[in-house]
Amino acid sequence: MGMRSVRAALLGGVLAMAGGLTALAQEVGVTPDRVRIGMFAPLSGPSAAYGQDVLNAARMWFDKINREGGIHGRQIEAVVEDDRCNANDLVAAVKKLVEQSNVFALNGGSCSAAVVAASDYVVRNRVPLVMLNASGDGALFPPNDYIYGAFSISQHAAGGSAVEFAARHFNARRIAYVNHDDAYGAWNLNAAKFQAERRGAGLNVQSISPNITDVTAPMVRLRAANPEVLVIMTYARPAALIIRKAMELGYRGPIVVAVNATADLRQMVANGGGPEAFRNVYIQEVLADLPGSARLQWVYDMYRQAYPQLASQEGRPQVYMPYGLPSAMSVTRALEAAGPELTREKFLAALQGLDFDSGVMAGPIRFGPRNRAAQQAAIYIKYDGATMERVPGSFASDWRFE
Amino acid sequence: MDSEVLFLFLQQGIASGIVSGSVYALLALAIVMIFKTSEVPNFAQGEVFMVAAYAALFLIVFYGLPMWVVIPAALLFTVAGMMLFEAGILRRVKKALGEPVNLVIATLGLSFLLRGLVRQTGLGDTPRSFPSLVSTDPVQIGQAMLTRLDLAIVGTAVAVMAAVFLLFNFTRAGRAMRALGMNPKAAALVGIDIRRTHAFVWGLSGLVSAISALLIAPKILMTPEMGHVAILAFAAAIVGGFNSLPGAVLGGFIIGIAENLVGLFVSASAIVVTPFLAIMAVLVLRPQGLLGGRPQMRKV
Repeated sequence: MGMRSVRAALLGGVLAMAGGLTALAQEVGVTPDRVRIGMFAPLSGPSAAYGQDVLNAARMWFDKINREGGIHGRQIEAVVEDDRCNANDLVAAVKKLVEQSNVFALNGGSCSAAVVAASDYVVRNRVPLVMLNASGDGALFPPNDYIYGAFSISQHAAGGSAVEFAARHFNARRIAYVNHDDAYGAWNLNAAKFQAERRGAGLNVQSISPNITDVTAPMVRLRAANPEVLVIMTYARPAALIIRKAMELGYRGPIVVAVNATADLRQMVANGGGPEAFRNVYIQEVLADLPGSARLQWVYDMYRQAYPQLASQEGRPQVYMPYGLPSAMSVTRALEAAGPELTREKFLAALQGLDFDSGVMAGPIRFGPRNRAAQQAAIYIKYDGATMERVPGSFASDWRFE
Repeated sequence: MDSEVLFLFLQQGIASGIVSGSVYALLALAIVMIFKTSEVPNFAQGEVFMVAAYAALFLIVFYGLPMWVVIPAALLFTVAGMMLFEAGILRRVKKALGEPVNLVIATLGLSFLLRGLVRQTGLGDTPRSFPSLVSTDPVQIGQAMLTRLDLAIVGTAVAVMAAVFLLFNFTRAGRAMRALGMNPKAAALVGIDIRRTHAFVWGLSGLVSAISALLIAPKILMTPEMGHVAILAFAAAIVGGFNSLPGAVLGGFIIGIAENLVGLFVSASAIVVTPFLAIMAVLVLRPQGLLGGRPQMRKV
C-alpha cells in the first residue's frame, strides 16, 4: 500500500469517526453514558392519585435498570414535570422537557384528554412519546409514528372487553350499556358495538352526561328493555348512581363496572347503596390478577423497597401504581432493541416491534405497524362489597383500527 | 313503543320529575327572593347549596355528630354565612360603586371561594354519599317506582314552599321584604329597616338553599361541583318569571318533569339541553316568564 493510499484510508477513517460522533452528538438527549427521558404526570391537584405512584413505579423500573448497568452503557436520566392532569399545564410541561431539558423521548401522561392536547406538538417536533397510564385513544387512533400508549387499556378495548365478558361469561344476548356522551363514551361504544355484533348480541345503549345527577330516565328505559347484563362504562359518580338506581328499580341481573369507575372500591360501595346493591356486581380489572395477589406481589414488594417512607403512608401505593411498570418496561426494551447507536428513528422502530408479557397487565404489551395501543384485555372480578373472586380467564376486545 | 311502555314512561317521568322539580323549585325560590329584593342574580347560589351539604358532611365525618345536631348546625352555618356575605361584602361593594355588575361579580367571586374552601377540607373531589334520614326502600305509585326518600323530599319541599308563602304574605317581615322589592326608598320612608331586611332575605335564601341541599344530597352524591344544579334552578326561575315566587316553584316542577320526560321519550343525552330549550321557548314566547308580571318601564 503506497503512502497516498494510507493517507486516504486514515482520512476516510477519521471522517467516518467524526461523522459517527457528529450523529451521536446531534441526537438530542443522548450522550455516550446517558439517555435523558422526560417524564410527566399529575403530581399535585385533585387528580394526583392518577399519576403520582404510576410515575413512581416507572421511575423505580428505570432505577432498577440503572443499577443493573443501564442500557448499552447508558444510564437513564429522568427529568420530571407536574402536568396537574390539565391540558394547558401538560402542554407546557412537554414543551419545557423538549425545548429546555432537551430530552430524547417522553414517558408521561396519566389523563387522556390532557395528553391528547400535546399530540400535535409531539408529532410536529418528532419526539417519541410513550404514555404512562392514560388510555389516550384520541392520540392513538389513527396511529402516527411518534405516540404509543394505552398500557392500562384503551377506551376502545375497555368497551369491547366488557361486552365480550357479558356475552361470553353470561351468554347474554340482550346487553344494556351505559356510557358517557363525550369522546370517552364514543370510543368505548365504538368497540362495544363491534364486539356485540361479533357475538350476535343486542346492545341497548344509554349515553349520559358525566354531570348527570338523576339517572332515573336512562335506567327506566334500560329496565324496560329487560336486559340480561348491565354494563356500566361511566366514571365513578354516575356508576354509583346507576348501581343504586338498578337496585331501586328491582334489577337483579349481573352488573359489569368498567375500570374507569373502580379507583376507590370502598367509596363506590358506600355511594352505590351498600353491600345489598353489590350482590351481583363484577368489576373490570386490567392487571394480570387480583390486586395484591401472589402473582403481582413482586410489584408491591419492589415499590416498598424503592419508596419505604412513602409505602408506610396510608393509601399507598395508590391503586393505579402498577400501571407505570409496563410503560417503563416498553421504554427500556425499545432502548435495548434500538442498539448502541441510539437515534429516535431506531427507538421508534423498536417500539413498533414490541411484543412481550409484562407480568403486570391482563394481556400482552403488543404494538404493530398499525397498532399504537398496547393492551387490549381485562380480567373480571366478582365483588360483593367486601371480598373479591376472580372469574377465570381474560377477555379481550377484537376491535382494531382500520 | 307499545302503550304499556308509553304509560310506564309517562307515569315515571311525571313522578320522578316532581321529585327533582321540587328541589329545583326550592333553589329557584332562593334565587328569586334575592333578585326581587336586591336585583342581584346570585351566581353563588349553587355553591351555597353545596357548602351547606359539605358543612353537614364535615360534622359527620370529622366529629361524628348525630344528625339531630348536624342538620340544625348546617342550616345555621349557611344562614349566618349568607348574612355575613351580604353585610360584609355586598353592602361595601354597593357603597363603593353601586353598579349591579359589581354585585354580580362579587357573587361569582363567592362561588369560586366556596368551591376552593371545600376542596381544602380534606373531603376532596371523591364523590361522597350523604346519609339519608329516610330509607330508600322502593314505593310503587301506579306503575312509577319511587323511594320513601323521594316522597320525603317532595313532602318537605312542599312544606318549605308553604312556609315561605305564609311568611311573605302574612307576616310583618314578609311585608317588609315585599315593600323592599317594590320600592326600597319608599320602604325606608315608611320605617322599614332596609339593612336588616336585606340581611334577613339573604339569610332566608341561605336557609332554603341549605334545606334543598340536605334533601337532595343523599340522592345525587356529593362533589364540590354539585352546585351546578343551580343552573337548573336559574332555568326554573326564568321559565316561571324571575320576579315571581310562585313562578319559581312552577318553573322548578316544569323543568324537573320536562327533563325526565325528554330522557324517557327522546334520549338520555337530550336531558342536559332540555332546560335550555325551555328557557329559549319562554324567552321567545313570554319573556317575563310564565307567572312574571308585565315588563316594567323604569325612570332613569
